[in-house]
Amino acid sequence: MHLNKNIIFDILVYIISFLFFATLIILLSGIFFQTSVHLFAKELKDAGLWNSIFLSFKLSFIVISINLIIGIPIAYVLSFKESKISFLLDIISTFPLTTSPLVIGFAVLITMGSLNPVGKFLIDNGIKFVFTPQGIVLVQLIISFPFFVNIVKTSFDSINRKMLDLSKTLGASSFDVLFRIIIPVSYNGIIAGLAMSWSRSIGEYAATQMVSGVIPKITETAPIEVFVKTSYGNYPAAVTIAGILMLISLFFLGIFKYFSYKIKTKII
Amino acid sequence: MKLLEIKNISKSFSNKKVLDVINLEIESGEISSIFGYSGEGKSTVLKIICGILKQDGGDVILNGKNINNLESCERRTPLVMDEPLLFPNMNVIENIEFGLKLNLSKRNSDNYNGKNKKLFYSPKEIMELLGITGLEKRYPGEISMGQAQRVSLARALIVNPEIILMDEPFSNLDIISKTKVRKLIKDINRELKISILLVTHDIEDVVNLSDKMFILNDGKIQDSGHPKEVLKKPSSIDTAFLLGTENILNGIISETDRRNNTIKIKVKDRNGDKEAGVIIEADFQGNFEAGEQVFLAVRPEEIIILREDRDVSKPVRENRFSGKIISSIFTSRMMEISIKSEENLELKVLIPFHAYEVMNLFEGKTVNVSLKKSSIHLIKKKKTVKNPVFT
Repeated sequence: MHLNKNIIFDILVYIISFLFFATLIILLSGIFFQTSVHLFAKELKDAGLWNSIFLSFKLSFIVISINLIIGIPIAYVLSFKESKISFLLDIISTFPLTTSPLVIGFAVLITMGSLNPVGKFLIDNGIKFVFTPQGIVLVQLIISFPFFVNIVKTSFDSINRKMLDLSKTLGASSFDVLFRIIIPVSYNGIIAGLAMSWSRSIGEYAATQMVSGVIPKITETAPIEVFVKTSYGNYPAAVTIAGILMLISLFFLGIFKYFSYKIKTKII
Repeated sequence: MKLLEIKNISKSFSNKKVLDVINLEIESGEISSIFGYSGEGKSTVLKIICGILKQDGGDVILNGKNINNLESCERRTPLVMDEPLLFPNMNVIENIEFGLKLNLSKRNSDNYNGKNKKLFYSPKEIMELLGITGLEKRYPGEISMGQAQRVSLARALIVNPEIILMDEPFSNLDIISKTKVRKLIKDINRELKISILLVTHDIEDVVNLSDKMFILNDGKIQDSGHPKEVLKKPSSIDTAFLLGTENILNGIISETDRRNNTIKIKVKDRNGDKEAGVIIEADFQGNFEAGEQVFLAVRPEEIIILREDRDVSKPVRENRFSGKIISSIFTSRMMEISIKSEENLELKVLIPFHAYEVMNLFEGKTVNVSLKKSSIHLIKKKKTVKNPVFT
């Protein structure tokens, strides 16, 4: 009797999961049926397409490099320096995740504009964030760093505190502890965090468009190009870029999942 | 020579006082133990010594130098804990060399090895001493718990400390590894002349290893001295309980006689209300007066069950009782026997298993027991008793 119930349970969960996956695949792969191999290959030869993809790669690479430099100290503070403001810091560093990217882009646009004292000061000193690649880096950083910080923090959280205390009694300074133990032990988490924040940054559209000004070759990233091509009615080009973006995401998601599974099986 | 001094250390955690003005002195070259119930702040003492925790008040003095303001990494007081806590990203040899690499720069500039002590043992020598040669390239997940604990010891030794702090280093080891590691600790102490401060809740560890023991109870050091002395002569009833002295009787001193080396005590019944009608004689112990209320502590292994087939020698004629065996339990090494005397006193006795068999003992049998005068230790009845005596 129990066995039968269990079989029914299994069938139910499999059916629901399968239906969901099938729908998702049909929805997303739809774009590939709107084109032909011939058209796809033809569009691949378009220099503008590669320009936008290259720009997206370049900017997102800068974004994750900055993430790596500032994200590790932030994750360290959140994970190891527990204090009364930890909760507040956690909220601030996760906030961009729960806010519309459009709103973030809009906020940066306003703050960095010439009417705002901060923006005015920077512009007067020759630093421009509106309609420039550095503006794109800034908004993508704000949007992608919570992914990096949260994954790295989770990874740091799983490190045995007693082990770190013990290493100090062997003569390790805080620098030694970070570089010789914490980072090497969290290697998988850091890679997973980078993959996640990279794919978030390379696919970012709303906030990017707010500050980019859509200047071809300078601020026109791949997702913006998809929108621009669609609005001109150039579907084959839009489909090609969208397809490539999707494959890139899939690739990095694969890396992320691979390493996060490794973290799970290697909890110390 | 004094190596480590703890002076008036106090520590509270969220208003709960864990350490209440603790004083310890550890001699160079000795193994000392801090013994007490779990959760009494034993580990806190170690953490304060090595600088992981900051004390609320008091001083830690190492080699005559106050190290209160030194960071953990500057104190050279390595810690070995109950788990090996090896770094999972390094293999065995990298784990062992961890402290060596960090200290390499300090090693040349420091002159702390001015004494004629051998300078820094090589990882190879240490691995040989601890019997872990051959494991160099293995990762922590690939070796046994006992081996890992030895690697952890090697990792502490490599920084050439004068003292190693050990926090329950045996609690996760099986009995064979435990015996091995205990022996290694003795070897380290003897051959490398490294002092050891051990924290444990296992009296076996204390008796086996240490030259001096401190009993930490209620945030205070209640007793200290050579383990055998402390074990035989606990200074308070709390200590007696902690040390597993199960035979504690209530009594009132009826007579003290220094010349004949005797104190006579009228023993009360189990509740301590009425006199049981028994007088026990003990060796003379100072500071007791006739009419004083006392506790009598006798360790279960000191009580003798008399053989029926032999004449009794002099010591076993002292304090003789007759009683019935009401229970006998086989523990891993000894038989634990409860005997109820005709006067309604209950005594716990430990005897070797073969003796139990040879003497043909069994539950319900009536036997004669003797409490040697020298085995009876008197404790003044003044302190409040933490655990009720008879429950």
